[in-house]
Amino acid sequence: MEDLKHKKILIVDDEHEIRNMIDGFLRKEGFTRVYHAGNCQEAIAICLADKPAIAILDIMLPDGDGFTLLSSIRRFSQMPILFLSARGEDEHRLLGLGLGADDYMVKPFLPRELVLRLLVILRRVYAPPRHEPQPIFKLGEHTVDLEGAVVQCRAGEQPLTAKEHALLTKLYENRGRIVTSDALCQSVWGDDYYGYENTLMVHIRRIREKIETTPSSPEHLLTVRGLGYKLIMKEE
Amino acid sequence: MDGAVRILRRFVGSTMIISVFLLVLNLITLGTWVLKGMNDGPSPNSITQGITKNLHLDNESYYLDAEAEKLLQQNDAWAMLLNNNGIVKWSYVLPDELPRFYSLTDVAKFSRNYLLDYPVYVWEHGDGLVVIGFPKDSVGKYQFGFPVKWIRDIPFRSFALVIGNIALALLLSLLIGSRLIKSITPLIRGIHALAEEQSAHVEPKGVLSSLATSINHTSALLQQQNVALKARDEARSNWISGIFHDIRTPLSMVLGYASELEESEVVPLEQQQKASIIRQQGEKLRSLISDLNLVSMLEYEMQPLNTKIIRLSALARHVAADFLNNGLDERFSLELDFTNEHLKVNGDEKLLLRAITNLIQNSITHNEIGCQILLQTIAFPNKKVCHFIVSDNGKGVPSSELPDLLELPYSSTRKHPIHNGHGLGLPMVARIVKAHHGQLTLKSDTGRGMKATIEFPTVEVSV
Repeated sequence: MEDLKHKKILIVDDEHEIRNMIDGFLRKEGFTRVYHAGNCQEAIAICLADKPAIAILDIMLPDGDGFTLLSSIRRFSQMPILFLSARGEDEHRLLGLGLGADDYMVKPFLPRELVLRLLVILRRVYAPPRHEPQPIFKLGEHTVDLEGAVVQCRAGEQPLTAKEHALLTKLYENRGRIVTSDALCQSVWGDDYYGYENTLMVHIRRIREKIETTPSSPEHLLTVRGLGYKLIMKEE
Repeated sequence: MDGAVRILRRFVGSTMIISVFLLVLNLITLGTWVLKGMNDGPSPNSITQGITKNLHLDNESYYLDAEAEKLLQQNDAWAMLLNNNGIVKWSYVLPDELPRFYSLTDVAKFSRNYLLDYPVYVWEHGDGLVVIGFPKDSVGKYQFGFPVKWIRDIPFRSFALVIGNIALALLLSLLIGSRLIKSITPLIRGIHALAEEQSAHVEPKGVLSSLATSINHTSALLQQQNVALKARDEARSNWISGIFHDIRTPLSMVLGYASELEESEVVPLEQQQKASIIRQQGEKLRSLISDLNLVSMLEYEMQPLNTKIIRLSALARHVAADFLNNGLDERFSLELDFTNEHLKVNGDEKLLLRAITNLIQNSITHNEIGCQILLQTIAFPNKKVCHFIVSDNGKGVPSSELPDLLELPYSSTRKHPIHNGHGLGLPMVARIVKAHHGQLTLKSDTGRGMKATIEFPTVEVSV
């Protein structure tokens, strides 16, 4: 983690106040090597000389636009790029991401969001791939182990099928919130999910049999009439 | 092309009516004008009959009634009675040049034609033959003789004649009409193209060349105006997004430094709270700017749509779940009612979510005491449209103010000031719906709640 904060970061923006502000945030977050460029020419020179680990690009620059700059950088480097633009139109976002940018943010932005997104990219590109263990959580007397795909209770262990696992994962990610039946079906059967509503009900019933003490009056996996389902975790 | 066929049909129809009308008119004229004078006064035959009836034998001499005599005088006619031997037994103003005796051959000759150029008529009398002579050159006598078969065929022939006339008229009018249509068709196509705002060019030739030139001119003018309008819209839209661009950069700094101060540990709590207010207001400003930008892009039809097939019921559930997950106040209830789960539209999911969210938010914002909000979909398969309805049972809006709600705030067409909120919500919905080729209708009155109906064209998808 500390390694990431020693990576070189290049900020390209024609407004030096913005550059200074971002610089301040980054240094406060512990980044030490921050470079500035006010136009495309400077940016390319720094990229060639200092080989930054990541670049934050504005789109409107005095001697060109960020998209062209991205293409020029791509000619010699595959370093990650984050666009920070004052133009929020969807087509620009799509164009930026389509050209191979790693992320696209719109001004005005909250500094915390920028730092978080930057770290996500840095971690993905530079940190060695780590295996993120899937969570284990308790629902009353039952313990759901998504990593092992089993539900444990006093009576013993019950395995989860692949579909049940996918549904529980989706519900757990949105715990305490309503997940529409459409979103649940989509997470299991993909975009072409229409017609699986009844199948979904069957799967939900099977999950309840595994995680609820009395499946007929569920306490954790609740039905929200007409909308979908909700996973309640009392401990949290 | 439909128009041309209709014109042709109308043309042929009126030609037929004109020809039938002329035919009838001719028959009537024939009867009343041409044949008038053919039978002026009593006919020679009836005069002859009358004389014969009124010629009496009295005391060995013949005697004519006064009335019959008057009739003869009126017609300048003479009369004689021949007995069975051809001798004149009685006469009235008989010209001297006429003989007083006639052989059988003479009688046969004059009964058919003339007696010394006098047109004569005969009638059988008890004592012989009455002969009436009219002045020379007053009556033409003709003998007609027709084969019976020919006379029997006359009805058929006249019928065939009428049919032939009609067929000929039809053929001629079709021929002339289609030639006319052929020259009109490019013009019609040109005008249709104008109506659809496409460029039209018609080769000017023939009698209608001046019309063609006019169409070409109009087309050129329209194209020019369209280009100018588009350029102006584009300039305005670019100007607006340019302003937003220029606002965003300073706002970034405000938001950035405010949130830094808010989180800073060295800043006293009171100042942190003030910084938090600056940050919150900055975020409000940010969302207002992006709303304004979206509305202006939609207004100038420059908002790109990332369309895909969307199920309306899934869309509604998505919005409803979002509202519930974000802590919908207990004063409000959300209900969903879908008659048809299959209803699909082709649209931009983000924009449609935004539109429905705005409608629900509207009901929430304007009913502080709470209300029930109902989301419905209704299909109209025959019209290939479906309705998405967001309705509430809240306090409603006077119906006179409804049209205003869809206008942009501060625009000249809006008569009433904005009550609360920034007034962009409903105009944005109306413009999103319009971009989806739909229509937004508001129905409300004071105390009657609000009903917003979005009409979408449905997508035919085989499930």
